[in-house]
Amino acid sequence: MLDVKQLSARYGHVEALHLIDLTVGANELVAVLGPNGAGKSTLLRSIMGLTSSSGRVTFAGTALPRRSASAIARRGVVLVPEGRGIFAPMTVAENLQLGAYQIGGGGAEFAARLQHVLSLFPRLKERLSQTAGSMSGGEQQMLAVGRALMAKPKLLMLDEPSLGLAPKVVAEIMETLGRLNAEGLPILLVEQKAPLALKFAHRAYVIANGRVAAEVNPREIKSYDELARYYFS
Amino acid sequence: MIDPTYLGQILVNGISVGCIYGLIGIGFCVIYNASGIVNFAQGAFVMLGGMTAYLLIAKTGLPLLAAGVIATLVVAVLGVALERLVVRPLWDRNATMFVMILATLAAQIVVERAMLLMVGDQPKSIAVFTDLPPIRIGGVAIGYQLLWIIGVSVVLISALNAFFQRTLVGRAMRACAIDREAAALQGINVSGMLALSFALSAGLGAIAGFLVTPTQYTAYNVGTPFAISGFIAAIVGGFGRPLGAFLGGIILGVSQALAVVTFGSGMKNVAALSVLLLFLFFRPTGLLGTAK
Ligand SMILES: Nc1ncnc2c1ncn2[C@@H]1O[C@H](COP(=O)(O)OP(=O)(O)OP(=O)(O)O)[C@@H](O)[C@H]1O
Ligand SMILES: [Mg+2]
Repeated sequence: MLDVKQLSARYGHVEALHLIDLTVGANELVAVLGPNGAGKSTLLRSIMGLTSSSGRVTFAGTALPRRSASAIARRGVVLVPEGRGIFAPMTVAENLQLGAYQIGGGGAEFAARLQHVLSLFPRLKERLSQTAGSMSGGEQQMLAVGRALMAKPKLLMLDEPSLGLAPKVVAEIMETLGRLNAEGLPILLVEQKAPLALKFAHRAYVIANGRVAAEVNPREIKSYDELARYYFS
Repeated sequence: MIDPTYLGQILVNGISVGCIYGLIGIGFCVIYNASGIVNFAQGAFVMLGGMTAYLLIAKTGLPLLAAGVIATLVVAVLGVALERLVVRPLWDRNATMFVMILATLAAQIVVERAMLLMVGDQPKSIAVFTDLPPIRIGGVAIGYQLLWIIGVSVVLISALNAFFQRTLVGRAMRACAIDREAAALQGINVSGMLALSFALSAGLGAIAGFLVTPTQYTAYNVGTPFAISGFIAAIVGGFGRPLGAFLGGIILGVSQALAVVTFGSGMKNVAALSVLLLFLFFRPTGLLGTAK
């Protein structure tokens, strides 16, 4: 589905990503692990065309445009960014509607999607007319994921959805993602909490210093010490 | 002690000119929200609105309101042209905000000079929309043009509010103002929204220019003073808050009118700048602004 080849990205003169190769197959849930500052967010942002990058990113057989996040989103590649990017002063309902911007935010299709998202995250249902910024961190993350699902993505990318959330909420969100993946949604998940990500992932990449340090099969990981080695290599 | 009738008259006049400032101020907010740019060519839109309507009436004999509608549309298109030809190329090159603001100022001067070459430096005017004697309420004379100004302003504010609150495109524009990158991630065409914001605020400026021309006059150089007043209105209202800008415009219009009658017409600008300074000192976030 997603095929990243020789992707490099820089901020000014600093190279933050160096010749990354990565794939996400249909129905796969792929995790990207790595320490702070490894370049995980830069990787997702580069796929979305939000950095100045070089290399090739193809999705479903055709190249993604280089510098237009909105055009990439319209191709069905949807990112839940680091920090969630919800529209805090707007209501939950408005946030969800903007997720379905491409289908005009109305009509039968919209209603069906909304119902689906609210069935995945029933807590949002009671808060539709509340401003998004007034919800708890966990609810905001559910909204961020829910809003992304309103676009009916063909590939869902998430940047550390667990950040700053209680383990119980994280488990709830991860279970939901696992279920969506089992129903056929390809997912690329950036996560620092390796045990959590590896519980659900089919494959994982470890990124350090802007490079792929290792590609691992979660079922072959015997100890997390083994994984930690890559972090500091 | 000022005669209350006289005071009432001043207030009415202040409110109507304040509506004009408010509309111009909203124009500043709409572009600022979509892009972070303070568009100093806003005054050019006001001048172009009045002037285009004048030219249409004088050269083609179009009826007044038709000329106003066409002038508004023409100026909206010019607003998009400004965005495409001046702002967008700089934007794509990641120019600093300062450079883009200066570019809009340069565009204002170019438009002003071009108009001077086209129509000369003589003031022009158009007829009042309703040619009837003013209504008298307890000695206060309210001209029909003032009613037009206040009425159209209120209708526009309500329409804009409905657009931003109720329509998907309006919500998308608000989303761009809150977080441009997150808006792009929803598939919203952020640069299209930028063009739309220029069309919208150019149209608002043109309507303001069209409404105000019968009560004063228009000339190639009326834009800058209007832009300054609109800019102050926007700051007083809490920059980026359309409703605040409108209220700011009314505060400014009324203060100016009061200053002129109490201290003489030389005090008009002093009053405007005093209002600005008072707000900058005591409430820098403006009427409706919250600390950012
Ligand atoms: N806007 C920026 N300007 C300059 N350097 C940046 C910018 N964003 C990131 N970097 C640098 O690029 C490198 C990779 O950053 P990135 O945010 O991708 O890391 P990350 O793996 O997501 O880290 P974290 O786990 O802390 O989110 C870091 O060294 C960071 O300092
Ligand atoms: Mg990160």
